[in-house]
Amino acid sequence: MGLRLRFLLPLALLLTGILVYPLVFAGWISVHDYQLTRLSDIRFTGAENFTDTFRNPNFWNALGNTLIFVLGAVSLELVLGLALALLVQRLDRARHLARSLLLAPMFITPIAVGLLFRFLLNAEIGVIPFLLRGVGLSIDWFGPQLALFSLILIDTWQWTPFMFLMFLAGLESLPRSPFEAAEVDGASRWSQFLHLTLPLLRPVILVALIIRSLDAFKVFEYVFAITRGGPGTSTETIQYLIYQTGFRFYRLGEAAAMAFVLVAVTLVLVFLLYTVLRRS
Amino acid sequence: MNHPNPWRKASFLALTLLSGTFTAAAAEINVIIEEVPEYDIVRELTAQFEAEYPDIEVNFDAMPFDAMRDRILTSSLAPSAVYDVIIVDNPWMTEFARAGYLAPLDERIAAIPGYDFSDFLAPLREIGIVDGTIYGVPYYNYALGLIVREDLLAATGRGAPTTLDEYRALARELTTESMAGAAMQPQRGYKIMEEWKNWLYAEGGEVFNEQGEVVINSPEAVAALEAYIDTYETSAPENSLNWGFDEALRAVAGGRAATMLSYNWMLPTLNEEGGIAGERAGLFKLYEVPGGKAVLGTWSWSIAANSEHADDAWTFISWITSKPIEKERVMAGGAPVRRSVIEDPQVWAEGYGEDYYTTLVGILEDAAPLARGNGAEEVINIVGTHLNAAVAGQKTPQEALDDAAAELERMR
Repeated sequence: MGLRLRFLLPLALLLTGILVYPLVFAGWISVHDYQLTRLSDIRFTGAENFTDTFRNPNFWNALGNTLIFVLGAVSLELVLGLALALLVQRLDRARHLARSLLLAPMFITPIAVGLLFRFLLNAEIGVIPFLLRGVGLSIDWFGPQLALFSLILIDTWQWTPFMFLMFLAGLESLPRSPFEAAEVDGASRWSQFLHLTLPLLRPVILVALIIRSLDAFKVFEYVFAITRGGPGTSTETIQYLIYQTGFRFYRLGEAAAMAFVLVAVTLVLVFLLYTVLRRS
Repeated sequence: MNHPNPWRKASFLALTLLSGTFTAAAAEINVIIEEVPEYDIVRELTAQFEAEYPDIEVNFDAMPFDAMRDRILTSSLAPSAVYDVIIVDNPWMTEFARAGYLAPLDERIAAIPGYDFSDFLAPLREIGIVDGTIYGVPYYNYALGLIVREDLLAATGRGAPTTLDEYRALARELTTESMAGAAMQPQRGYKIMEEWKNWLYAEGGEVFNEQGEVVINSPEAVAALEAYIDTYETSAPENSLNWGFDEALRAVAGGRAATMLSYNWMLPTLNEEGGIAGERAGLFKLYEVPGGKAVLGTWSWSIAANSEHADDAWTFISWITSKPIEKERVMAGGAPVRRSVIEDPQVWAEGYGEDYYTTLVGILEDAAPLARGNGAEEVINIVGTHLNAAVAGQKTPQEALDDAAAELERMR
């Protein structure tokens, strides 16, 4: 065995153990009637779990909720993160302090953020409804109209700092000369932003969007801590549905099939996002 | 300098660890338990057990409710149990017993003279019996009762509500700008199912009939849901669609709600001087739920089928559930499960008074589990999802219950 192969072997074995084996096993159980409380009665069912997934209205509802969540949260985070980065970039003295403060929400575990907002937005004891009542506003944050939007806002609060960090690093690494030339030519700030900053920042935006979109697809903790998927099924996300099916109801075969469909959908979306941004 | 041989050192270390493991394993039992006030009482009593049985060491792994089901599952699927003693919630009992996770207890119970299994109140002990075999011994009950602010009730001139109509009228009358008549818990899933099922019983409905057929979309069930929604809209706190146990308790304790359907043992908590209700302590009283028949919850002690210390586990379970220790547990504030204890005047005197325990007997004698059978957890979730959608106005009561019925049929 060559030296290169010998160096590669431990890593290859490790990856096989922690990545390939679980993936293959998940593939195997997705074509079986595999229930954790009936392990002595595992039957091969072929594509049945997949066809059930495609016919399951709860799956499509959860996928729709997840897509709305991802689109809403990541768009807001993109806009706010970029705005904050542009503002902080202009600061001279307090830049480091502002950066540290703005990053804070990112370091809190999402389940704690979920519990925090569950009580902050609670109509009875929450600070936010209390303050809003002071100005005559009564908002049902977790009612059927707003619940999903409230979860989007919570995610935006927690993950805008990530976008901000990415964009600030990107802005600080942009070359100065095109901007100096534009200023000499009399280009306005808005024109510079539109024709220089955005195009130069595009690779960073692409990476940030892909990372945040993939992460937002995993939304689970806020749903678990706050709404449990309700009202009705209006905040039931795909991860929560998979968790319920696999680990509350023990139907791992169905849960695995749903997870594979989700992977396929995610890959297609990432590919589309990548293609669109690359072309533009 | 004299360096010890590394192999000898390693062998010695391994032998020490192994001998330690084997010695400890012979006398150690691991217990998975929910982290609630009942656990504090059990833990204190366990010191007494360990003094009586110095060969058995009891290790508790206390955790929140949400973490328990997964841990029990993984322990049960392992070749050798992580947990020798499992506490099992009533919706899980049939599923776990039929999956072979739990050890039968009939012979062990019969072998202890004076244990008196029939002393456990019938609705509670029946939860631990699956297909004619005993798999669980009652630990504590969480049957639901109606908790009412007595001062506010007295001001209305009404008596305690015994029917759903009386309760709804009372809740409406008690509702003011600053006070909700009923702190309800319409949160999707478990909470709304646990609360609404009392309303279902009051209307004479059921989820399944005696033949096991789905009857959740019966006219009685629709009437129960319509009544529930009406009370939510007229008497519950504003924007409380997502409320569960914590929020309802805080509203009642904080003087912003007059009544709630909740676990019977919340009464002592609310009436405790210097407790969560502050100056309102002592103003609360427990009644049977309107209509009489209550939703019953029970945690049971079970032995893991794959436990290597089943005998020691049973020694502990039979001790903690024996009559004298159950009496001590209840006098320390625990929720009773034995008739002899709940009717004991000494328990009344040292516990929460005769009134509370006699009301509780009435609740427990006419109570039925939230859900039973294979897939009970899923039944609760399915029904709880559609009920919540109806309260949110996304479906009519009839649509919600028809959808729930269709999904239950598919599941079965």
